[in-house]
Amino acid sequence: MDMTQSRSAAPLLEKVEQKFRSHLNLVAALTRDFAAATDYEDMAAAGLEQVTNYVGAEASSLFLLDETGKELICVACYGPVNITSLRVPADSGIVGRSVQQQKGQMVRDVSLDADFGGAVDAQTGFKTKSILAAPLSIGDEHLGSIEIINKNTDDGLFHDSDLTLLETLSSAAALALHNLRLTQQVVQQERASREVELAAEIQRNLLPVQKGQKFPIHGVNIPARSVSGDFYDILPMSDGRIWFNIGDVSGKGMNAALLMAKTTSLFRCLAKSATHPGQLLHIINNELCETNSHGMFVTMIGGLLDPATGHVAMSNAGHEPPLLLDLKSHEFKEMPAEAPPLGITPNIAGSGGFPNTEFDMCGGSLYIFTDGLTEARTFGGSIVGNDGARSLILEHLEQPAEKQLRNITAAVRLPSKPLHDDLTLLIVQDCSKGFHKPPITVTRDPMQQIQKILHLRLPARADRLKLIRAAVKEAAEYCLCDSDWTRDLTLAVDEASQNVIRHAYDSSKEPGDICIDFIKEGEQMVVHIMDFADRVDPEKVKGRDLEDIRPGGLGVHLINSVTDDARFVTPPTGVGNLFKLTKRL
Amino acid sequence: MTLEVKETDGTAIVSLSGDVDLQTSPSVRQGLLDCLETSQRVVVDMSGVSYIDSSGVASLVEAFQISRKEGSTFVLANVSPAALRVFSLARLDKVFTIHESVEDAAAALG
Repeated sequence: MDMTQSRSAAPLLEKVEQKFRSHLNLVAALTRDFAAATDYEDMAAAGLEQVTNYVGAEASSLFLLDETGKELICVACYGPVNITSLRVPADSGIVGRSVQQQKGQMVRDVSLDADFGGAVDAQTGFKTKSILAAPLSIGDEHLGSIEIINKNTDDGLFHDSDLTLLETLSSAAALALHNLRLTQQVVQQERASREVELAAEIQRNLLPVQKGQKFPIHGVNIPARSVSGDFYDILPMSDGRIWFNIGDVSGKGMNAALLMAKTTSLFRCLAKSATHPGQLLHIINNELCETNSHGMFVTMIGGLLDPATGHVAMSNAGHEPPLLLDLKSHEFKEMPAEAPPLGITPNIAGSGGFPNTEFDMCGGSLYIFTDGLTEARTFGGSIVGNDGARSLILEHLEQPAEKQLRNITAAVRLPSKPLHDDLTLLIVQDCSKGFHKPPITVTRDPMQQIQKILHLRLPARADRLKLIRAAVKEAAEYCLCDSDWTRDLTLAVDEASQNVIRHAYDSSKEPGDICIDFIKEGEQMVVHIMDFADRVDPEKVKGRDLEDIRPGGLGVHLINSVTDDARFVTPPTGVGNLFKLTKRL
Repeated sequence: MTLEVKETDGTAIVSLSGDVDLQTSPSVRQGLLDCLETSQRVVVDMSGVSYIDSSGVASLVEAFQISRKEGSTFVLANVSPAALRVFSLARLDKVFTIHESVEDAAAALG
């Protein structure tokens, strides 16, 4: 009896073992395929076909949850009808139940299952009889479900072993799917980071090139991330004056960087035709308001430096107050913001533009920075703050501007900690020292962009005009100017000096002095004609209409005709009148 | 600056030379007005003018305007390039009657 039993048990055991081996082989093969797959469709198509045929079923499909988790979408299928892209609610049907319960489902007769909806059958004409469904998940993350439909072989009924097989396979598939998604994320992140790198490079190119030690303005910009919401720019004009700006866009990252690029481009483009910083900021503000979105705004300082006189015109739209440092007393003067940031409300300052502050640097240095400096941390861990910023500036004061920038920024860039915010710092220096030189000094430095050619100081009397003309001629010849050019400049300086002699000083008293400075600035000659009389109203020294032929009043017209620019500027000491002539060489 | 006057047949030939500027133009002005008092025709020889400024030009304009009011003649001759440049900048080159030479001026005046 025992023999009989053992004889009949042996083939059964062999059969089970065979089936087990065959299951294992399929699982191993499919797991290998899944691991090598590079996209869902490939992976699913191969897997579904094999597993359907292996189990002996009619059809199969892979459903994945959408981003909301409320719908299941068929991403791949195998069988007589194609249901790819079909969407079903994630909480209905047998497939939905397998996801909700996170448990394999075996329904041998769907007509007896209350959850079976038959919606797919109605749409496709397919007749579903039985379903095997297994959820796809990694830990708590639910991905979807695989279902196999209508077993054809044996007794036409799914068995527990089929469900075990499907559950094993769905685990492998879930893992593969999870890996695929991670890979895709990494690829996307790499692409995004390459794009950010590219944007950062473009942004670095928007910053001005340092112009050498003798140049009066130097700046540095250090982004906290790859791209920066801070900016600065330095823009020399043909008349010798230099526009500069510094700005900070609210927020960080790519949107701030884009707004920064827009603002700095507007500045660069509009500065060429603007007359003063307040007007320029006013126009930029209106432009930004027209297109700005998401409540972003820009704090900005726009300035215009005349390096020949050290005169600065500046407008501050909600930015950190710049510091004007007296190099002798080491005292700081704060130049507060007079207007709100740009990009909030148009026409905020009326049509006259943003408020303009005008001052003479009087040999001092102007430090302009973003809150990246004041809100940075020192090596000691404390916040730099206003006092800290001032201490840092004084600490490195003896060095050239470029080195000051390096040292100040190095003091707040901790190797262990990234910067909290973008950091930008600008130093504007007063290079005009022509007014304190002894009379008639001739200097020549071929390396220097700005050369002081001649300084004259003499009584403002008509009998000195010939001397002045001779000096102009000698100065022009020294600069290798041709005779026509020299003749015209001589006329202009003579006429300007005449105005001082005739109009500035009280004719009943002994006249005061007139100072004349010749400064070669790159490709142009700048002549300063200065007196020490009471302020002259420039409106009163206007050229007359040439149609009106009468003696007198011609001088200003002649000056304007033979120079490229002629204007009154604020004298460095605040006393007297300074008339500035500019003529291209 | 020097100013020399030669008078023949009611025509005064005024030879101006040197720099005519704020310092010297008052005497140029006075010299020209004096000539217009005594002569019906005034020719200013400007060949020697090395420099003239707006005050010098103003003196010439004033003399020109007085001559028109009085019905006398006031012409310029031999204008140096330096002076011509200032005249053209002031757009007075079309206002003044300018002759190539003193001889041309004398011939034109008859």
